[in-house]
Amino acid sequence: MLKKSRKANAEPKVSTNPVTMVDRTIIGDQIYIEGTIRGEEDLLIEGSVKGNIEMKAHHLTVGPKGQVEAEVRAANVTISGKLEGNINATGRVEITKAADFNGEIKAKSISVEDGAYLKAVIEMERESTQKAVPLGKPVEKAPYEPTKEPLVLAGKDSKGN
Amino acid sequence: MAASATGLNQKDMNQHLGLEGYTSNALKLFMEHLDRQPQSRLLDVGPVCQENISFFAGRVWKHYVCDMFIRLDRQIRKGDPVHQIWKELDYQPESFDGILVWELADRLDEQDVNRLVTLCHSMLKPEGMAVVMVMGDQTVSSETKAFVVGQNYRIYLRPQPHLNLPLRGRQNRDVLSMMSPFVPAKSFICRPGFMEFLFRRE
Repeated sequence: MLKKSRKANAEPKVSTNPVTMVDRTIIGDQIYIEGTIRGEEDLLIEGSVKGNIEMKAHHLTVGPKGQVEAEVRAANVTISGKLEGNINATGRVEITKAADFNGEIKAKSISVEDGAYLKAVIEMERESTQKAVPLGKPVEKAPYEPTKEPLVLAGKDSKGN
Repeated sequence: MAASATGLNQKDMNQHLGLEGYTSNALKLFMEHLDRQPQSRLLDVGPVCQENISFFAGRVWKHYVCDMFIRLDRQIRKGDPVHQIWKELDYQPESFDGILVWELADRLDEQDVNRLVTLCHSMLKPEGMAVVMVMGDQTVSSETKAFVVGQNYRIYLRPQPHLNLPLRGRQNRDVLSMMSPFVPAKSFICRPGFMEFLFRRE
């Protein structure tokens, strides 16, 4: 079920740091959602979600029971369950050893525990280190073509092009 | 260097293994090759670890990781045919400028080694390079280890206790034979029995 959680040591007022927001919504393990989720608070998914998740200033957690097939835009993302899709994070992506991830990750930083079940394309945000692309270079085919119909991610392959 | 998953620190672990870390000349040359590519694409077949993602993703344009070690381990645990794991390497031909094979080949039988080599040859671009390690049968225990890249191409071996994979104990000549579709570019002896190879696709 959908419910609010309040962290045990939370301050009574809302923190300015998105990762330590007092409230978060939990999608329970008996819930299946298909469509777009937009949010202005942190979200924990223990159920199943298919579609798009947009919470640009907040933290998405896919819990151990969570099964997500989605395009994700969030500040920070923690994966301890199954996630298939692309992640565009302005902050950190954490992949625990319980995770099963398949997709693209664009993030400022990434942490991965030994033992994570991972198939990914990783692009780390870098400052002014972009290599020049020769003019007239033919467009290269992406090495990985998902077996399922790909979901469009805004800004995909924009780096260096 | 971060503490290992088993709780021992990296220095203790490598002393235990008889390797106080080592500087990888093969990796240095490999990265120099990638640095010359305008939009370098690298494939790492694992074991995937935090340090290596930070290192490689910061150096190449796109860093692909597909942990074949953990897939192999799960397949063996389930008792399913090993060859089914190769469908995971479903990348387009000539996709990569470099592939980090590490010691995956030493965890496979002849049939699956041939499949791995064929796939790597297909996935590499012409002039693309592959890094292969062989630990030898006398070097260390059969425990699977991640080749953790530190500063200045220093490599440390971190045991992966969650992986239970057979070690074939291939020798240097076996590696050269199995990689016959490639041109041997360089090889380095890290210690007796433990070598690193750099192969190039023509």
